[in-house]
Amino acid sequence: MAKRGRPLIFNIRRFALDDGPGIRTTVFMKGCPLSCIWCHNPESVSPAAEVAFYEDRCIGCGTCREVCPEGAVSATSGSERINRERCTACGVCTEECPSTALSVIGRECEVDELVERLLEERIFYETSGGGVTFSGGEPTLFMDYTAEVMHRLKSEGIHVAIQTSGMFNLREFSDKLLPHTDLIFFDLKLIDSDRHRDFTGRDNDLILENFRHLAMNASIPVVPRIPLVPGMTATKQNLADTAAFLRETGCRSAVLLPYNPGGILKAKAVGRSPHPSLPDRMPPVGEEEELKAFFLDRLSGRCAKAMEKRPAQDINPSTGFHFCSDRRTQGGA
Amino acid sequence: MSKVTLKDIRLREYTLENLGLLGRLRKDLMRTRPEVCIERARHTTRYLRDLSSDDEPMETRYAKAVAYFLSKKAPLFFDDNLLAGTTTSKPFGAPVYQELTGMTIWPELDTISTRGKNPLILSREDAEELNFEIFPYWMERNILEYTRKKHNNPGCMRLFERIVFFLASKAGTISHTVPDYRKVLAKGIEGIIEEAAAREEDVRRKGADTPDNRHSIEFYQAVQIVMKGVLEYAANLSRRAEELAAAETDPARRENLLRMSETCARVPAKPARTFREALNSLWICQVAVHAENINMAMSPGRLDQVLYDYYRRDIDSGTLTVGEAIELVGCLWLKLNDNTNLVPETSEELFGGAGTVPAVTVGGVDENGEDAVNDLTYIMLRVTELLKLRDPSVNARYHYEKNTEEYRDRVAEVIVNTKAVPAFHNDVVDIKVLENQGTSTEHARDYAVIGCVELASAGRSYDASSSIIFNLVSALELAMYNGKRPATGDEQIGPQTGDPAGFSTFEEFWEAFKTQLKWLIGEAIKLNEYFGRAHQEMLPTPLLSAFFEGPMEKGRDLIRGGALYNSSGATHIGFADTVDSLSAIEKAVFMDRKCTFAELLTALRDDFRGHEKLHAYLVYKTPKYGTDDPIAVKNSRNLIRFLYDFYQGHTNYRGGRYRPGYWTMTNHAGQGKLSGALPNGRKAHKVFASGITPASQAAGDLSACLKAVGGLDGLCIPSGEALNLKYPHVNGNGDIKTFAQAVESYFRYGGLHVQFNIMSYEELIDAKKNPEKYPELLVRVSGYSAYFKDLNEAMKDEIITRTAYDLGTGRAVPFPEEYRSMLAYE
Repeated sequence: MAKRGRPLIFNIRRFALDDGPGIRTTVFMKGCPLSCIWCHNPESVSPAAEVAFYEDRCIGCGTCREVCPEGAVSATSGSERINRERCTACGVCTEECPSTALSVIGRECEVDELVERLLEERIFYETSGGGVTFSGGEPTLFMDYTAEVMHRLKSEGIHVAIQTSGMFNLREFSDKLLPHTDLIFFDLKLIDSDRHRDFTGRDNDLILENFRHLAMNASIPVVPRIPLVPGMTATKQNLADTAAFLRETGCRSAVLLPYNPGGILKAKAVGRSPHPSLPDRMPPVGEEEELKAFFLDRLSGRCAKAMEKRPAQDINPSTGFHFCSDRRTQGGA
Repeated sequence: MSKVTLKDIRLREYTLENLGLLGRLRKDLMRTRPEVCIERARHTTRYLRDLSSDDEPMETRYAKAVAYFLSKKAPLFFDDNLLAGTTTSKPFGAPVYQELTGMTIWPELDTISTRGKNPLILSREDAEELNFEIFPYWMERNILEYTRKKHNNPGCMRLFERIVFFLASKAGTISHTVPDYRKVLAKGIEGIIEEAAAREEDVRRKGADTPDNRHSIEFYQAVQIVMKGVLEYAANLSRRAEELAAAETDPARRENLLRMSETCARVPAKPARTFREALNSLWICQVAVHAENINMAMSPGRLDQVLYDYYRRDIDSGTLTVGEAIELVGCLWLKLNDNTNLVPETSEELFGGAGTVPAVTVGGVDENGEDAVNDLTYIMLRVTELLKLRDPSVNARYHYEKNTEEYRDRVAEVIVNTKAVPAFHNDVVDIKVLENQGTSTEHARDYAVIGCVELASAGRSYDASSSIIFNLVSALELAMYNGKRPATGDEQIGPQTGDPAGFSTFEEFWEAFKTQLKWLIGEAIKLNEYFGRAHQEMLPTPLLSAFFEGPMEKGRDLIRGGALYNSSGATHIGFADTVDSLSAIEKAVFMDRKCTFAELLTALRDDFRGHEKLHAYLVYKTPKYGTDDPIAVKNSRNLIRFLYDFYQGHTNYRGGRYRPGYWTMTNHAGQGKLSGALPNGRKAHKVFASGITPASQAAGDLSACLKAVGGLDGLCIPSGEALNLKYPHVNGNGDIKTFAQAVESYFRYGGLHVQFNIMSYEELIDAKKNPEKYPELLVRVSGYSAYFKDLNEAMKDEIITRTAYDLGTGRAVPFPEEYRSMLAYE
């Protein structure tokens, strides 16, 4: 676990086109107050460092078993390979693994270092009208750290966006992050409170309240994002409820995120069992199109159009903090 | 102020369907099979052997030989092209430069028509003429044997003939340049002859008794002699066109023949008055240049600038329409495809598929540093987009401070639509690079691309940019094996720099590597100097010299240093593999101590069989060029810097410096095939990475790759670099925008050049398996374009395995699992 208030960064994705305008760099922080069963970055839920095992990359050399100081690595395949009770994520096995089949997810990063690395990409931002996006996990879990990085970027004239679950203390958010933010992507998963609790582990009262307040009062764009998880969020009921809620807040646009089953593999890599009712493939295009049309219809009159969006890309967790630099991790999950 | 007046810069209303002529000519070209043309060899040999004496000064004697050939050259009209003149006597011909590389086909005269790869048709009579009449005369008179004899078969020549160390291009020592056609368009050949006569007279008045003045007089005479040959050829074209017109029944054809007859009666003898005359004048001069100089990267230069005044005048006076201009430019593009190189089978196997790479350059800034993009720029882009031809190699200059975003995005769109061309060049850095080489700012701004990617102030700088093709991996191996190479067995080739097993730091190895580099480059330079001096003695180039700024003023042939600026270029093969191998050695042996140097060499010898763990470590855990890894960054920059300093310390036979560059044509595939396993995990006989491109699949992050390559000091790369990028698909305007923004970012980080293939792994694999399905698939190799089907298998594999980046995510697309064995490290 990181020092108090200091997050572990588990990915810095450059050339991100889907996280705001232009070519951006997205910083992924580890730790999330929600535990959505469809989470497509399941390695981001726990704020602590974890070791991921990618079996397809394993060449079976047995080095990990030899070097593990905790005896946490066995010869079994799949998610059983690492005994999560024993593993302290010390990183010895990941250092020694010759084929990047093991890697530590999450690394501490000083503000200076992070800012420097984000500014290295500056030419991409300037050429394309891009900037930096903070994502997670949940970046608002680390208000002070995030605020400092954002502040430093803003003073360099960089456009800053944040992606949030909305589960935060509004006053603290307004004081610390909002002044340095140019754009908020605000996830709205389920309007029904019970279902929200069932699927994410938390009530949505605070989320909806925060959204309503920001949408109506913030001087920057607040873009709601709705993940389309078949049978869970992608139901006509939820979309109708969401559209009604958005109309109420005067919100003019929304992003619908197509379902991406990439989270299932990543959950396995960090030793979690994916929820059995999660579909393991993308739904037929027609199905999502129909839901989008339905949603648009409900939103129409007040909302010009729902923004189309390409399928969300997997975030590769295995790179830890590093800019993706080795070929295996670059191949993508 | 912008010169662009077109309403639609994309010129969408003009298509191959409504420009019927271009569509027809293109179809014919694609169907035509290349033939060997011996016309040049026949006439020049006849003149030199039978009609002249060894006592005559070579300058005038050679000029007479070329003029003799031009006067005898058949005036041919093969099709309905609007421009008169053909490079050879065949619709698609490979001329024989028997004094240069032509002799290499001597042993293959019987098989060249039927060989598997890119056969060249040669008739029985022509083969016999070469065998009995022509080649015997040249046995000891070709550049190679002449040089060998003169220097008593020197060591550097024997090294060169091993192929695996360096190629000192005996043909590349000349050609590979950008003539200045502005002068001939403005003054006409007659004007040039008058100028030469007047200058000759001036020198004579000063006295013919010094060797310098004698040379000058000979040179001016040679210019007059050879230029008269050009006039004769044009007159013959005019006469023949008239005869054909008289017999022609089709009115449109007759009309075209008559116009060509009139045009050739006027140009290139006299100044061009119209766009059509300017184009035809330029084309006849290009044909004439090839009567004297080998057809390798003789690049017409900035045609949107050279031809603009003629275009503007005709458009403004209403005598030319945009559609007609497109058609005429298209005719020139097709004409530039009327010849190919004569390549022996072994070279074809190792290095084949290249065109003749006459580079055309468009866009950028003018001599005053202002936006030079004009309507003709867009016309040339449209023609390139419609015709999708191997040649000319079209290069778009982009100045991110002066050119418009609209232009930038249009270039990107043409690349997407052709899947390959044009290449993008960074004006901001390119100009600084040339200034740093001593080119004046105005002249640097007026640069054009030579052949692949090299830069020259057009018509002022003689750069012979392909003089040395140096295999960096060979020097690396010499350092690893104490002056030997596995490919050449137990022979002590280079200096003994010590058994690296005894080295205790990486720096010791780096020093050994530099020692081997210095020695081997020294040998390559020595040979190039021998060739250069041989060229000076036996192959003067008065014709080409007349199309340059400098020789006429100085009274000195180009080959003797007559140009305003001079240099020789050396390009490097295996850059990424060498840098990654250095980094792998540094990390594995000296930092992580994963293995000893001896263990590493054993693993390489075994091609990693039985060393799987070490292999995985080398492939996946050692620093890779094209990422942010500081060790990779350090080693790449150190190597670039070292080579620059070393080459710049050498002056060539024309008084210019040596300039290093990083573009490889197909040599990286051929040299890879001849090399053993490397410390970066590349297995034996697999291809090397191309140009300055990171090793395939090693740089998984597009932005890191662009920064790593862009971060190399461009000033240290004066002979150009080729970065190859591949995108599997680019969809719609949004993606084109991102595409263009990525290029611009790369340029702002300092990159000199980038070229693209817009194709997926799967498409390319399918094209390799089913060539008949992709007869016209155009790809960028490393600086030039080729039809994929013409490439050798290794080169196909290299293009297939090049990292493809998803433009939507900026990350490498995973290589298809079932074809992993194609990868260099599998």
